[in-house]
Amino acid sequence: MTTLSTPIAAHETDAPPAPFAAPWVLLAVAAIQAALAVIVAFTVKGEARLAWGYLRPDATARLFLVVIDVIFLGIAAYVWNRSRSEPTLRGVVSQFTWLSLAFMVASNVVVLSNHLIVGWTALETTTLLAAPLIVRPGVPSSRRASWRYFLYSSVGLALVLLGFACLARSLEINGHVPTYFTDDLSTLVSGPPNLWRRIGLALVFLGYGTKLGLAPMYSWLPETYDEAPPAVTALLAAVQFNCALICLIRVLQVYRSGNRELVATELLAIGLASMAVSTVSIIATRNVKRLVAYASINHAGVIAIGLAIGKSAAYGVLLYVVSNAFIKAILFLTVGKIKAHYGTKDTREIAGLIKDLPYSGLFLMVGTFALLGFPPFGSFLGELIILSGLVRAKQIFVFVIFCALITMTFVATGRTVFPMIWGQPKKKVTWPRQTLPGATPKLAFLVALVVMGIYMPQAVDALFRAVAATLGAE
Amino acid sequence: MSGVLIAFEIVLLLPLFIGTWRISLLGLSCQGFLMAWIAFHHGLHLSLDTAVEIVDLVLLRAIAGPALLYWVLLRQNAPRRNDVIAPNLLSWAMALALVLVAFRVADVLVTTEGDAQTWVGVAASALLLGLLVLGTRTGVFSQMVGALRIENAIALFELADAHHSSVGVRMGQTAVYLGSIALFRWYLVHLAGEPEAPATPHPPAL
Repeated sequence: MTTLSTPIAAHETDAPPAPFAAPWVLLAVAAIQAALAVIVAFTVKGEARLAWGYLRPDATARLFLVVIDVIFLGIAAYVWNRSRSEPTLRGVVSQFTWLSLAFMVASNVVVLSNHLIVGWTALETTTLLAAPLIVRPGVPSSRRASWRYFLYSSVGLALVLLGFACLARSLEINGHVPTYFTDDLSTLVSGPPNLWRRIGLALVFLGYGTKLGLAPMYSWLPETYDEAPPAVTALLAAVQFNCALICLIRVLQVYRSGNRELVATELLAIGLASMAVSTVSIIATRNVKRLVAYASINHAGVIAIGLAIGKSAAYGVLLYVVSNAFIKAILFLTVGKIKAHYGTKDTREIAGLIKDLPYSGLFLMVGTFALLGFPPFGSFLGELIILSGLVRAKQIFVFVIFCALITMTFVATGRTVFPMIWGQPKKKVTWPRQTLPGATPKLAFLVALVVMGIYMPQAVDALFRAVAATLGAE
Repeated sequence: MSGVLIAFEIVLLLPLFIGTWRISLLGLSCQGFLMAWIAFHHGLHLSLDTAVEIVDLVLLRAIAGPALLYWVLLRQNAPRRNDVIAPNLLSWAMALALVLVAFRVADVLVTTEGDAQTWVGVAASALLLGLLVLGTRTGVFSQMVGALRIENAIALFELADAHHSSVGVRMGQTAVYLGSIALFRWYLVHLAGEPEAPATPHPPAL
C-alpha cells in the first residue's frame, strides 16, 4: 500500500539511503506515551499527589492526558508516513521529532500540574518549543508568523503571571499565606473577592484567552495556523490549545468553587465577541487553512460561553472541547494534504476533491460536518447541551445571538467548502495513490468522534462526569 | 527604598524620549540592576533561592539579555535612531498620562501611603509603558523592548511578594526567561537584519 515517490526511486541507482531513525523514534515514543496515558486514565483512582505535590492525576488531568497523547500519536503517525513518502523532509522531520517530543513532555506536565506556576512554566516551555517548529525553511512569511505567535504568547503568559501575583496578594490581604498549589487554594478562596483577586482573575483570563485565540488578542492565530506546517498546526490547535484550556479550567475550578457566578459575564462577553469576529472572518476568507483557523476561534468562543454557564452546560463543554480537538486534528492534517496536492490554499482553485483525492475529500467532508455540529458527532451533542444550558440559565439574549452566529458560520462555511468537495474538478492532475497508512490516523480520530456522539463507553463517561462535576455540573 | 523606585521610574521614562537602540538596551540593563538592588535591600537571605534570583536579575535581565541584542544590532550595523514610541507630542503625553494612571491605580489598590504604594505604582507604570511600546510600534526590535519591559514590570511586582516559590519552580521560571531571550536574539537576527530570501514556490511541508 505504501507509495514511494520519485526521489526515493532515484536513490535506488546510487548508494542506499542512510537509515533514518527519527520518525520511528517519534512513533514509538508517541505510542508508549498514549498507552501510558490510557493506563493512567482508567486504572489510577483517587487524587494522589506526585512529585512533592506539584503533580496530581485528578479526573481533569486523566481525561486530557488521554486526549492530547492520543492526538499526538495520530500526528506522529502522519509525520512517520510523510517522512516515508517525502524523503526531502528528513531534516525537518528530525527537528520535528526532538522538539515535539520535548513539547509533549511539557504538555503532559501542564495537564498533570497541581501548581499554578509549574503549569504556567510548562505552558511557556511548549511555546518556546513550538515557535521554531512554525518556521518553514525557505518561507520568510513563516518566520514572521512564528514571531507573532511567540510575541503574543509571551505577552499573554506574562499577563497570566502578573495575575497570579495579584491573586497571591489577595490571599495575603485576607490573612492567608500565599500558595500556588491548586488543591490548597481551593480551601482558601472562600468569601467575596477583593479588588486584588478581581484584577488577578481578569489578567489570568486575558492572558490564557490570548493563548486560546479568544478576542481581543486573537490576531496571531489565523496567521500562525496558516503558515505553520500542517503537523505543527495540528499540534498547536489540538494539543497546545487544550493545555491552555486546562490551565484556565484549573483557575475556574479553584476560584469558582464558592461563587459560581464569578467572571461569568466576562466569559460570556469574550465568547460572543470571539464568535462574532470569527464569523465575519469566515465569511470573508478564501483561504481554506485560515477558514479552519477562524473556526477554531469560533469554537474557543463557544467553549468560553459554555464555561460561563457551567452547571448543566459543563458536560456539554467537555464533550465539545474533546470533539473539537479531534476535528481540528483531522481538518488541519487533511488541509495540509490538499495544499500539497493543489499547490494553493485558495478555495476557488480547489474543486472536485471527492473524485480527485477521495480520502482527503471524505475527511474534509466529514470534518466539516463535525465542525458545523452535525449529528452523529460529539460536537453536535456538546453544542446541543450548551444551548440547552443557555436556555436553562435564562440567557435568552445570548442564546439568540449564539444561534444567529452559528447559522451564519454554517452558511459561510458550507458555501466555501462544499464546492471544494463536490464541485467539478478544474484541472487534470496526476497524483500518487493515497495510502491507507496515511489515512489511518484521521480515520481513528473520526471513529473517536462518532463514538462520542453515539455511544460513550461507561468508563469514559464516568471520567467526563467527574470533570464536569468540578466545573459545577448539577 | 523610594529613591531606588524613583530611579527605576526615570529609567523607564528616559528611553522613550531619547530614541536610540543603545539607550533602550541601557534602560533595560539598568532596570535589571535596580531590581537586584531592590531585592538585596528587601531582606534577601543567603540561600540557593537567592542565588537563582541574583542570576535571573543580574546575569540575565541586566547583562545577558541586553548584551545579546546589542551584539546583533551592532553586527547588523543598525541605524543609531530607533524610537520605541512615535516621536511626537501625542505619544509623549500618552506616556506621561499612563504614569499618572498607574499611580492612581496604586492609590486605589494600596490605601496606605509609603513604599508599598510607590512600588505598585512603579510596577504598574512599567507594565503600561511596556504595553504602550508594544501597541504603537511594529518593528521587531521595538516589540522586543516592549515585551522585555513587561517582563521586568512583572519581576519588579513579584519582588514585593514576601512569599517565595521553591528553588525548582524559580529555576524553571529563570530557564524560561533564558529561552525567551535566546529566541528574541534568533528573531532579531532573522527578521530585522537579513534581506528576505525569495520564497521557493511550494516547498514540501510536514
